[in-house]
Amino acid sequence: MTCIDALALGRSATAGRTVLIGLGGLAAVAMSVVLGAATDHVDSAVLFVWLMTTYIVSGLVAWHRRPDSRFGPLLIAVGFGAGLSNLAWSTNPVAFTVGQAFDLLVVALFLHVFLAFPTGRLPNRATRLLVGAAYAVSIGLQVTAMLLGAFGPDDLLAVVDAPDAAGIVHAVELLTLATLLLAGVAFLAVRRGAAHRRATRNLVDSFSLGLVSLAVLLVMGVFAGPGFPIVQRVTIAILGLAPVAFLIGLLDARLARTGVGDLVVDLRDADGDLQPALARALRDPSVSLLYWLPRYERWVDQEGRPAEAPAVKRVIRRDGEPIAAIVHHPSLADEPELLDAVVAATEMVLDNGRLRAELRASLAEVRGSRARVLEAGRQERRRLERDLHDGAQQRLVGLSLRLGILEERLKADAEARTAVTEAKREVAASLAELRDIAHGLYPAVLTGHGLAVALESVAGQASVPVRLDVRLPERPAEAVEVAAYYVVCESLTNIDRHAAATTVTVVIERRGDHLVVEVRDDGVGGADTANGSGLRGLADRVEALGGTLRVWSASAHGTRIRAELPCG
Amino acid sequence: MRVVIAEDSVLLREGIARLLGDAGFDVVARCGDAEELHRAVGALQPEVAIVDIRMPPTHTDEGLRAAVAIRAAHPGVRVLVLSQYVEPALALRLFADSADGAGYLLKDRISDVADFVGAVHRVAAGGTAVDPMIVSALVSRPRPDDPLQRLTPREREVLELMATGHSNQGIADRLVITLRAVEKYVSTIFGKLGIPATGAESRRVLAVLLFLRAE
Repeated sequence: MTCIDALALGRSATAGRTVLIGLGGLAAVAMSVVLGAATDHVDSAVLFVWLMTTYIVSGLVAWHRRPDSRFGPLLIAVGFGAGLSNLAWSTNPVAFTVGQAFDLLVVALFLHVFLAFPTGRLPNRATRLLVGAAYAVSIGLQVTAMLLGAFGPDDLLAVVDAPDAAGIVHAVELLTLATLLLAGVAFLAVRRGAAHRRATRNLVDSFSLGLVSLAVLLVMGVFAGPGFPIVQRVTIAILGLAPVAFLIGLLDARLARTGVGDLVVDLRDADGDLQPALARALRDPSVSLLYWLPRYERWVDQEGRPAEAPAVKRVIRRDGEPIAAIVHHPSLADEPELLDAVVAATEMVLDNGRLRAELRASLAEVRGSRARVLEAGRQERRRLERDLHDGAQQRLVGLSLRLGILEERLKADAEARTAVTEAKREVAASLAELRDIAHGLYPAVLTGHGLAVALESVAGQASVPVRLDVRLPERPAEAVEVAAYYVVCESLTNIDRHAAATTVTVVIERRGDHLVVEVRDDGVGGADTANGSGLRGLADRVEALGGTLRVWSASAHGTRIRAELPCG
Repeated sequence: MRVVIAEDSVLLREGIARLLGDAGFDVVARCGDAEELHRAVGALQPEVAIVDIRMPPTHTDEGLRAAVAIRAAHPGVRVLVLSQYVEPALALRLFADSADGAGYLLKDRISDVADFVGAVHRVAAGGTAVDPMIVSALVSRPRPDDPLQRLTPREREVLELMATGHSNQGIADRLVITLRAVEKYVSTIFGKLGIPATGAESRRVLAVLLFLRAE
């Protein structure tokens, strides 16, 4: 069997089912009309026909549109349940008895269908208990009352004739059902609070109204108050309106679905950021789009940042693997076809956004590892400098000191004294070399005394005069200080080598939450920013801290290097 | 003459103590960190405190801060800072507005025993000692229209000796020239560089250093 055959068969089965239910509905309506006309219940019959028609027709539409939902069948059941109670108008004792026995079943059905909106399933244990109780009461107590002979001679179930007891049982039944209905209204209030669309809230309101008026009707039935027939008609009219409201809701969802056409256009123009278009199409500003990156085995947002995927989401799959998810307001679950349509439209344009998110995630990872490598290097150099200072340098100074003392004591022996002086000179040379090495490893003066002090001697060693202007109210983090220090050192080295400048200006200041380092010279310009000249390494160092390095170097107009380092 | 030594390396601390002891100083306290130093100076009021610039706990600026604080709190205590850094800015930070009775020497200098002992004596007497490497770092700075170009090599030599804190007599002894010759050089140098004459020998060190440091 091909797919198309299966589809056709499915369709014909659905059509057959619809026709059968339609015919059954017509028969029930006809029965009500005939029975009503024969027993002077014409007014009531008209109302019941309205009730049955709206529930059965809406039920069929709902079943057709959402085959997976039990809500449609439930609506149909309500329609037929209402017809069943009309049998009580019959003069045939069997039909009368059946009709009487199921007279109040429809009350439980109303409660059931309203609480089961929109999936057709009762959402939790409490509502299941409530509806179960309603069914038990509506049939159990009704039959009990009938056993006590509540409904006269045509009641085939009557075993004793105890009209007082039967009346009490019936009253208890009606009051209990009224109470259960009002409890149902409380659940509907919770449901309404969670609703996100206005149409849904209106629908839930119409359900609540129906249940309240039904409860009022039942209470009035007990106390036989005046105006019962009017309240009955109003109640049935209201109850009949509920499925109409539901149909309007469906239509609204259909309209939303036509918005999906715009979505496709929107998404195509969205240039990677699909979120606003999705929010418009789903009328849910809280919508977010997550991408699944199998390489990292995690969800990321559009910027490639790791994200937690909440429980309420619609996962978009390709070849069975998740590729993205639309995270939406829980109440959008009421509109599965809208979500389906949006998912289908989104899937077509997903690849660009996903690729971009993946790229951003990789970039963030590379940046992170670069920053870690540089930071680890900085720490290691710092440690080495410290070891040199506390170890070899101190020892050499100590040795040099001992040689110095020895030298003093050897005043008499010129030859020995010369040898010691020579040795001392060697040690001094080693110390000078070691000092240069230590300083090259890590600018310890910077750690101890800050940028102004450390840069003063750097500037002093340049080949051109440097105007140094360090305006810092407080010291930034050490990693930031070190980066700023190297920006200046490297820039001055470049200027010495290439710029043929006569003056250099270095300005370091705090602007907002950034440390801004600017080095300007009046040299020949044309610095090679792409390759080498140390600028690339500097850019790495600055970017690893989340900063930016910019170079302006027009030929013959000097060079300006500016680093902005976040230090907030 | 009573001296306090603050140096966290035991080897160096003992070496310096021995050296100064040999030279006739009375080493009254040997401290391993800034806190001990403060206590010793407060209690003993020595003539001179010799302070390592890099001391525990963080090995950053404890020594320099202690030196500056002692100069402020105990004007009678002269302070000589020993450092591994050739950093003119640190020397000037120590001196603040007066270089009198203060010194900044590289640690290497202690092995030139005679020079070092001379420097301690100079500081103890209210003079100044600046390491020659600090001075030469300052002198070799690039300057626009370098005024030092106008000096003869001999004048330059005299300028550097002045900056290290030597008196006119000290300079005369070093260069083996007469005191009068030195005085003549000094006034020529001040004239050529436009440094206002300060009169007192000790004051001129700071004036020269600040001149050399200016852009």
